[in-house]
Amino acid sequence: MKIQIKKFGEMLMSRPAGREAYLALSAYLIKGVDRQELLEIDFEGVKVLTPSWADEVITKLAQEFPNIKLLNTQNSTVEATLKTLRKYSDLKI
Amino acid sequence: MVNANLKNLALEWCVSENPKIAPGDYYCASRDFFIAQADNLSADLKIGGKINDSDAYMILAMIGEIGNNSFDHNIGNWPDAPGVFFGWSIDNSGAQIILADRGQGVMATLKKIKPEISNHQEALKVAFFERISGRAPESRGNGLKFVREGAKATKIHLTFISGDAQAELNQDFQIGAADRNIRGCLAIIEIKKR
Repeated sequence: MKIQIKKFGEMLMSRPAGREAYLALSAYLIKGVDRQELLEIDFEGVKVLTPSWADEVITKLAQEFPNIKLLNTQNSTVEATLKTLRKYSDLKI
Repeated sequence: MVNANLKNLALEWCVSENPKIAPGDYYCASRDFFIAQADNLSADLKIGGKINDSDAYMILAMIGEIGNNSFDHNIGNWPDAPGVFFGWSIDNSGAQIILADRGQGVMATLKKIKPEISNHQEALKVAFFERISGRAPESRGNGLKFVREGAKATKIHLTFISGDAQAELNQDFQIGAADRNIRGCLAIIEIKKR
């Protein structure tokens, strides 16, 4: 399945907002989805992403789904955030 | 580019013994208001093409991390006035953006998980460079590493003061004593027009 991150907003900055996004994902989008299924996370349309927001969403998704593909990560804040999470938050994607 | 008045307003609020003196339009008492103001800054930064979109978004992400840190680490525990000072000044030569809070400060926050930290300069070094763990169930603590990398990438100058320590970030990182003691945090971002 594919998750379009821009559906949570173009500017994704705070930890509480990330927590809320993950709760919504858990309740609706990934509920009942086979954890071995390929999960595509698409950043197309995201303008500002921070480690605080992403740590609450991307890091947690990566802990649940071993098969993740990241799409459209060219935005400078997306690239830098993923780099920070890989280095300091054990993100393994 | 440097708006001395804006800087003085932030400093006054940071060190005032009477925190009820709120700096008018620059005061964000809640996180929601801070986020809304960041949205306004997003539009202002791009007016006239002074700063390209990619750098503007990166600078906004850095500001998001610094401002949200103030709320994340002080919510329910503000010593007096809650919230942040958040102001900016943009002209033909570039922009200056200031964030400040009257929170616990970096050292008091980090001492909870790293009690061996003995002074503010050491606390800033840890905040900007070290991987911080042991905050379960919270996993906060990576924002300022991201800010350090962002300062390099966007070629801005960031002055970050907490306690009696002052860090200067651009392509390098330097740390020393601050002129004035700030209990919480004060961040000044200076961007030259490219």
